[in-house]
Amino acid sequence: MKGEKPVVGIIANPVSARDIRRIVAYAGNMQITERANIVLRLLAGLGAVGIERVVIMPENSGIRQHVMRGLERASNLGEARFPLTEYLDMAISSSSQDSIDAARRMHEDGVAAIIVLGGDGTHRAVVSACGDVPVAGVSTGTNNAFPKFQEPTTVGMAVGLAVTAPELADIAFYGNKILEVDVAGRKEIALVDVTVVAEQYVGARALWRTHNFKELYVTFAEPEVIGMSVLAGLLDPVDRDTSEGRWVHFDNSDHPEFKLQAPIAPGVVDEVGIKSWGTLLPDQPCQIGPKQGSLAFDGERELSFSSDDRPTVTLRTDAFRTIDVSACMQYGARSRLLRNHRGERVSVSNVTKPQQED
Amino acid sequence: MNDVFPLSKEDLLKAYRTMKTIREFEERLHVDFGRGEIPGFVHLYAGEEASATGIMMHLDDQDRIASTHRGHGHCIAKGVDIDAMMGEIYGKTTGACRGKGGSMHIADLSKGMMGANGILGAGSPLACGAALAAKKLGHNGIGMSFTGDGASNQGTFLESLNLAAIWNLPMIFVVENNGYAESTSVDYATAVDSYVDRAAGFGVPGVTVDGTDFFAVYEAAGEVIRRAREGGGPSLLECKMIRFFGHFEGDAQTYRAEGENESNRANRDCLKMFRARVTEVGVIGDQDLNAIDTEVLKAIDNAVEQAVAAPLPEASDLTTDVYVNY
Amino acid sequence: MARKISFKEAINEALDQEMTRDPTVIVMGEDIVGGSGSPGEDDAWGGVLGVTKGLYAKHGDRLMDTPLSESAYIGSAVGAATCGLRPVAELMFLDFLGVCFDQIFNQAAKFRYMFGGKAETPVTIRAMVGAGFRAAAQHSQMLTPIVTHIPGLKVVCPSNAYDAKGLLIQSIRDNDPVIFCEHKNLYAHEVDVPEESYAIPFGEANVVREGGDVTIVAYGLMVHRASEAAAMLAKDGIECEIIDLRTLSPIDTETIIESVENTGRLVCVDEANPRCSIASDVSAMVSQDAFSSLKAAPRLVAAPHTPVPFSPALEDLYIPSTERVVDAVRKTMEP
Repeated sequence: MKGEKPVVGIIANPVSARDIRRIVAYAGNMQITERANIVLRLLAGLGAVGIERVVIMPENSGIRQHVMRGLERASNLGEARFPLTEYLDMAISSSSQDSIDAARRMHEDGVAAIIVLGGDGTHRAVVSACGDVPVAGVSTGTNNAFPKFQEPTTVGMAVGLAVTAPELADIAFYGNKILEVDVAGRKEIALVDVTVVAEQYVGARALWRTHNFKELYVTFAEPEVIGMSVLAGLLDPVDRDTSEGRWVHFDNSDHPEFKLQAPIAPGVVDEVGIKSWGTLLPDQPCQIGPKQGSLAFDGERELSFSSDDRPTVTLRTDAFRTIDVSACMQYGARSRLLRNHRGERVSVSNVTKPQQED
Repeated sequence: MNDVFPLSKEDLLKAYRTMKTIREFEERLHVDFGRGEIPGFVHLYAGEEASATGIMMHLDDQDRIASTHRGHGHCIAKGVDIDAMMGEIYGKTTGACRGKGGSMHIADLSKGMMGANGILGAGSPLACGAALAAKKLGHNGIGMSFTGDGASNQGTFLESLNLAAIWNLPMIFVVENNGYAESTSVDYATAVDSYVDRAAGFGVPGVTVDGTDFFAVYEAAGEVIRRAREGGGPSLLECKMIRFFGHFEGDAQTYRAEGENESNRANRDCLKMFRARVTEVGVIGDQDLNAIDTEVLKAIDNAVEQAVAAPLPEASDLTTDVYVNY
Repeated sequence: MARKISFKEAINEALDQEMTRDPTVIVMGEDIVGGSGSPGEDDAWGGVLGVTKGLYAKHGDRLMDTPLSESAYIGSAVGAATCGLRPVAELMFLDFLGVCFDQIFNQAAKFRYMFGGKAETPVTIRAMVGAGFRAAAQHSQMLTPIVTHIPGLKVVCPSNAYDAKGLLIQSIRDNDPVIFCEHKNLYAHEVDVPEESYAIPFGEANVVREGGDVTIVAYGLMVHRASEAAAMLAKDGIECEIIDLRTLSPIDTETIIESVENTGRLVCVDEANPRCSIASDVSAMVSQDAFSSLKAAPRLVAAPHTPVPFSPALEDLYIPSTERVVDAVRKTMEP
């Protein structure tokens, strides 16, 4: 696709949003129409800065119908400049596999960026398959430690600028840390956290039985989020920029040195016994302690292991790129990219160089 | 507490026995129906065993379930005697309903089984009534209805969600989504792909699990049932699964993709997956499970023998039990 | 001690006394308490025509207002009845049968039979029937034949306050599903009703008036039309025997046959539409089982084969009148 105008992909997969955290926690349930509105806002932002083609992952949850209706209405009314919007031709399994398949397809098709609607789980699925395509996130998920909350219209504009204005190349993209997990040759990744739990079954996936938490590894840990990483964030925070991670060992005995109170799920503040914690350095494989149990990636149990498997966790830096929306818009403001002196709307084809500051 | 599995070895064996009993019961009916031995219609539950079993292991006789036309699995998992079930399917006096109900109406109120039902969606209001009774009578039993992906479009189901929510009933709505309502795909018949989203619209929380994974069903069912018992109100549990056979026996299944049934049997057999998981972890050995296989087959053989030999109802049975008294 | 109370008050008293006697009796329906969730009074309506007013103050949350979801709440009443409660559910107008009929005729009516005698469904469904209120086509029907037709249901339709109280008490105590029909045009009608609790058995008609010339079989409001007709005919020396059916299922065939064997003439008066009605049912039964006693063909006085019209001029023509009953009797007397 080199030389052609950039195409942006959008992945909005609501399947993770029906898990048991609606029962064992107070996880919300974003309406399909709300998700569709977010897609339309992304499209409006992308179209406003001149992106002409967008490809979207298909699903049967109803988002597609609302989006197409919204585009048709706008077209009938002659309002807004939406890009040409197409749905990928792919089989739909109505599972997180669709996110992975769509990301792989978009990578193969050479999209310039992928915008993801979802929480940690959906972002993880996309990153596992998108190769070097940069990702922008809109936090609509159950647990949103990874994606930041940002207005979708702005995300659309920022992504559009990032993939078309060459002078943004140095500031638009951000290199993110990742955890690589190796379980007897099978490779998995996590964007935020890997948790080792005692349960030897995947079951309903979510984590809420704190007495079964064994170990935790995180790429970054902020004290003001929810989910597993906040356990590290409340002990010894580490931000996204620092080339370090954290590990925590839990203490399930009756008399741990202390118990940490943490918001491990929406509306759930629970106590976890703490034994020790420390720093995870990049590129140094860490052998996990327990002989059997299950591994949860970004808050969801994914696979069980036993003594022969000897799983390891390794921190990697600069493993995948995300789009720094704030940086793009700041640059756009400072360099007056969005000012129109020539009586024509801004489009990326006529933004060749920034206006000089006065 | 380090619970490797949420069930003890004994309970795991019990779970396997229940699922295997359902499987072999249905497989045997498939064969015998094909030979013309069974009157009327049967709707087989094979392939869906993990759902009924994973859920019913949390229930006792005081809990009430209202089932569907595809009710053999629910009956067996709820503890209805298989000899009585086979007798009923054959229309004999030894049947659970003395031969008066048939496959689609097997019930055993002493076990909290309010009946398989030939009217789709009819069970949801009835189960709400059971939940209401539990609440009014002051015991911590629950009501539970099973509906398929098709029946969950019936007005009765939707009205019941609202009623259960406003009265905060200890009620579980189980949606067994096997992708087909008779021949019609759920992608066609239902406007959204999640019944959990629907329930949320009624103010009822819900969770979707892989209905072929016994442990996922068991874990999720445990939470929604516990919540109901503790005054947390109604929930919806969607089990996504597949049925091995047609809608009814005799269904040519031309609506399926080529190779779909073979692929399901190979890749999505809940019994195989259960066996793989428990033997891999080493909690149970293959020989324990094989022993159960043998016992179950014997029990099914015995049930069929008994049913075939049992007497048909007499002419005088035609007019009995219309009323308690008239 | 008896004193004059209305049909409506008699129903209220029956519910009150049964709720006091039996803690498993619950009452549910739309607006039967009234004002649920609303900022004004509790017990704001006590039913759309005030029949259940005052019960909430005495029995609290054993009375439950329901949302507009007949199939859900009637179904809940049926389900709860199989689980140890004794619910009395109100279907505001029997005309609403369409939105919940499955729960009544396929579920409640069939459990005992389908489950081989191993189920009991002691549910009572109260519903208003009948025309004369200018309530028009969808709120005025006499759908008694439809529910009478179904094996497994019992159907009750009293003509006066005394019968209403005794039959409702019996309905609640009965262990089968009962459809209890209340004629809205009789709610204000008063007769002597004992204060104490009493139950009237099903399947026992009441001979309201004795006479040797003709048997008039009627139920509900039509009993009153028959009585008026009998008074007019008596002036001409024609003595009518009036049988108030009271319960349509079970029906007291013995009393009817015995009377026709005596009078030799039958007039059936029925507010329902004529096809497959109670009148045609009784008439066929008498024709078969008392043919040799008949001196004349049985005559049916029924509403026409139309929906209930709105305009008072038309509705008054729709409801069988005293004059039409008189005419029918005279026809049976013709040589």
